[in-house]
Amino acid sequence: METIIKGLKTNRSFAITTGLVLFLLAIAALAPVLAPYDPTFANMSDAYMDPSGSHLFGTDKLGRDCFSRVLYGGRSSLTGVLCLVFCVFAVGTTLGVLSGYFGGKVDIIIMRFSDMMISFPGMILAIAVAGVMGGSLLNAIIALTIVSWTKYARLARSMVMKIKRRDFVDAAIVNGGTSSHILWTHILPNILPMMVITAASDIGGLMMELAGLSFLGFGAQPPAPEWGLMLNEGRQQLQTAPWLMIFPGLAIFVTVVIFNLWGDNLRDVLDPRNDVED
Amino acid sequence: MKKLFKVSAAATMVGLLALAAAGCGGGDKKAATAKANPDVLKVGVTNFADSLEPTDNYFGWVVMRYGLGECLTKFDKAMVTKGWLCDKWEVSADKLTWTFHINDKAVFSNGKKVTGEAAAASILRTFEKAARAKSMFEYESIKGDGQNVVIKTKKPVPTLPGMLGDPLFIIIDTTVKDRDYRKMGPICTGPYAVESFTKAKAVMVKNEKYWDGQVPYKKVEIPSIDDPSTRAMALQKGEIDIAVNVAPGDLALFQGKDKFKVSEIASLRDVLARLNVKKDRPLSDLKVRQALLRAIDREAICKGPLKGTFFPGGPYMAPSTDYGYKDLYASNPDKFNVESAKKLLAEAGWKDTNNDGYVDKNGKNLELDFAFYSSRAELPICAESTQSYAKAVGIKVNLKPVDYNVLDKIGREGGADLIISNVLCMQAGDPEVFMNMYLKTGQEQNGCGYSSAEFDALSDKLGVEFDPAKRREIIIDMQKVILKDAASLVFAHPKTNMVSSSAIANADIQPCDYYWVTKDIKPAAAK
Repeated sequence: METIIKGLKTNRSFAITTGLVLFLLAIAALAPVLAPYDPTFANMSDAYMDPSGSHLFGTDKLGRDCFSRVLYGGRSSLTGVLCLVFCVFAVGTTLGVLSGYFGGKVDIIIMRFSDMMISFPGMILAIAVAGVMGGSLLNAIIALTIVSWTKYARLARSMVMKIKRRDFVDAAIVNGGTSSHILWTHILPNILPMMVITAASDIGGLMMELAGLSFLGFGAQPPAPEWGLMLNEGRQQLQTAPWLMIFPGLAIFVTVVIFNLWGDNLRDVLDPRNDVED
Repeated sequence: MKKLFKVSAAATMVGLLALAAAGCGGGDKKAATAKANPDVLKVGVTNFADSLEPTDNYFGWVVMRYGLGECLTKFDKAMVTKGWLCDKWEVSADKLTWTFHINDKAVFSNGKKVTGEAAAASILRTFEKAARAKSMFEYESIKGDGQNVVIKTKKPVPTLPGMLGDPLFIIIDTTVKDRDYRKMGPICTGPYAVESFTKAKAVMVKNEKYWDGQVPYKKVEIPSIDDPSTRAMALQKGEIDIAVNVAPGDLALFQGKDKFKVSEIASLRDVLARLNVKKDRPLSDLKVRQALLRAIDREAICKGPLKGTFFPGGPYMAPSTDYGYKDLYASNPDKFNVESAKKLLAEAGWKDTNNDGYVDKNGKNLELDFAFYSSRAELPICAESTQSYAKAVGIKVNLKPVDYNVLDKIGREGGADLIISNVLCMQAGDPEVFMNMYLKTGQEQNGCGYSSAEFDALSDKLGVEFDPAKRREIIIDMQKVILKDAASLVFAHPKTNMVSSSAIANADIQPCDYYWVTKDIKPAAAK
């Protein structure tokens, strides 16, 4: 935490991107206050209205206000992707740490299972999983967790294997430290910064994948305002009502760019290798 | 140096963007200058068939739509049954024996003459291979006699000539055995013959032996472009000459443009939701059904989200048919009326006691499951609109997107409260099959449990009535029963369209879904 505060003071681009991330989160949180209309309120006679003073981003096929839907879409898209990143991070890191620390059969089982998952094309497997479970944002998160945890598991495992040979771990073992104590107090804190950096820089990519699943109909379901779903709904009107794709598309683009930049800057701030260079 | 690098990078970027923008803008001009190849016709369609065996599933439709196969009869623009391969027919006094005379000129694409025997063999093959044929009529005997086909039925079938116009009964040369019907199609009598066929693309060549006039194109290519917007773009770009069924939203791109011709017609289809009236379901209560129907503004759905490309629903039969749409629409008691819907719900004992926005009874909210599929663009729109309208009167509608095949099963088993589909209401040129399908007691498709003695009696009467005027009256009466019982939620009736390049003549959409590529479509110069 101290490093982050220090980073905010010293690294200007990190401070700016952190501000932008907070701004995005604030927009999502304050959507009910900022949105001029109920995002699910349909008024058929207002269908496909051009962007104007009364409807900044125009209206969609059911006459719903696109600006309100984009704002509310931030809520489901951001909560969705943060949940997803947390799940992938938690599952992947836990399995990777166990695999790396205990080795032997545990390692073989977890890693071969992960090899198996990697051998499928990720998005196709996610579509298959989401397809079997039925379309919903929760199922899309589960599907993407199932295909994405392997990266974290492999990273965590390799780092744990490196750290567990260090003297301070041996010292802890000699002093009678239990496995759970060693994992919690000696290993996890050492790998955590790297894992957090990876998770932060993955937010953008995973957001695209989550929106992709919603676009294909396997994620959020109507009438929920969700950016990927809104893109799909606007696709039919690409030529006649392009604003239905432009604004949700822009929202995804801007959010992904901000999170990617923030992830990069966070790495600059947190990466332990920077300390060595300093 | 660094500054120079930045400037040159920016210049390159601008250059690339300009190049990209230039690339985007050229399409229209290209389409404008592209001259249609007078020997090759390219038609963009959506194709559901992976085989050309006409007795499998509904694949006969594709054989007919692609200009390959023809039947004994066909339907004209007023849906009147006319002769096609047969030039006349008659029925015996006891109404059980039909004699169809086949045109003397008719030949298969292999040069063989179409005789009564050949046609009889083809119809018998259909009965042997397709279970659906038996559900249309049951025969005592089917025989060829010179140029005549003589069909004896077990009971009087007033609509037999129309049924033989169904693509299921495409006349094929059954003597040809060494041919893969799935890939090459059977030997038929249409203006074109298959060169190659996959689900993604069909290539047809001129049938040199065609019996009914000139065949204008040497080759017809039919790529399957499933997404309607992509189909429209392909036509704009000049990649295809004709697009069948452009999405409602895209039609405006072609209307009033010199380069394109839009042929639009009211189809014979219904977009309707079956209402599950089984005992344990909320919609078993007539008042709840009426409330739901009155909560939905079908006119607004047609004008707004469906962009005026649909006629508002109400009566069971489409406005393009002659079965009293106008009068029935005017007299429909369940037109949009939110106050009356709320009142009906209150009378049925549904009130919002916990202030959650939804009415409830015995501690349970009024919730309805709405099953729909998305491959037809209007179905999710109707489903979402219903959800939104129903919410306004306190009914909670849960959307259940499913695959078409799953929806069919739900319909047969009654697994949801509303089950939407887009159906042809004049199957084989007559409404009888459609009228009975979802609503007559005991029908396989009537999984939603509607049963009315009055309706069933009318249906039985229709089954043996030959007089067209009386049939019309019975069908109107049946519709009145449906409206009175609020037995079905008919959302809308689509218009259907065919958009062609102005270099093509006679690319006209027919009310009947069976005819796309015909011998009449030709280069405009040869008009």
